[in-house]
Amino acid sequence: MLFASAAALPLLLGTAGCRSSDAFTGPDPLAGRPPLGRDVLTLQAVIAAEENLIGLYQAAIRGGAGNGGAAGAGARTLQTLLSQHQQHLVQLKARLVVPPGASASPSPSASGTGGAAASPGPGRVDVARLRAAERASAAGLVQRLASVPPALAQLFASIAASDATHVTVLGG
Amino acid sequence: MATAPGPVSALQATLAAENAAVYGYGVAGAHLTGSSLAQAEQDWTAHNQARDTLTAMISARGAAPVAAQAYYQMPFRVHDAASAVRLAAYLEDGVTRAYLGLVAVNDQRLRRFGALAMQQAALRAAAWRGSTQAFPGLGGSVPAGPGEATRRSS
Repeated sequence: MLFASAAALPLLLGTAGCRSSDAFTGPDPLAGRPPLGRDVLTLQAVIAAEENLIGLYQAAIRGGAGNGGAAGAGARTLQTLLSQHQQHLVQLKARLVVPPGASASPSPSASGTGGAAASPGPGRVDVARLRAAERASAAGLVQRLASVPPALAQLFASIAASDATHVTVLGG
Repeated sequence: MATAPGPVSALQATLAAENAAVYGYGVAGAHLTGSSLAQAEQDWTAHNQARDTLTAMISARGAAPVAAQAYYQMPFRVHDAASAVRLAAYLEDGVTRAYLGLVAVNDQRLRRFGALAMQQAALRAAAWRGSTQAFPGLGGSVPAGPGEATRRSS
């Protein structure tokens, strides 16, 4: 019986007069994927917000001084801040373990709250928009501290502090 | 009422960092003039206020706040304005790290308090250093921590 195959297990349990879920105290392994944990959803949302922020910086830098898209900050400064956001993204993604069969992309509901930066969308990205996005990101990260484990909370808080310094660099 | 040791020890560590900052700004200020001195005085005042806040928070939890030392060893020789500015940035980095410790406690209000306070310290550090950091408080050693957020039932 110790070597019964997985395919035979439901049959054996059925013969014994019990459902598979009665045999375990934990999640039913035959009932499909369990829902993602709250901290995973939170991390996915933060990753999506960071990606949006990076998109904003890239759009601002692409806009350049020619059309005034990044006027007032300097291309080099924006590159430095962009680089720090890319470092944030690397660390955030390193914390995420994507379950087999699950999508690595956050669900819409996971990214809908907490001050996530807006998608770049059409139009010019100026310094004021970057500043507002940085401010929203810092606030959103602090808001999410309660729903994650301590080490992840510290990473969120550190990134939020970095974002807060970016606001000042951008003239806030 | 029994008090969980975690929050109190994190608060004590933060208070110790603030005490060191208050002392250190006194050393730095002696070598600064003009707008730099004015900034140092403003930051010194902020650290004094933070010290008082933390002292009250620790006392409210039934513990004795850690006392300031009579003397603090400086991390390097402070002999001119440039080294004084470096010291100020160093002090703010230490305070930022200490508040980051508060973010790890389970008390949600303390987490938020620590996160907001470390933003202020990071801002002061960036002003003294003249540049921003990707991970204030964590420095260059950010643990990768794979498996931190893994699948589980909510």
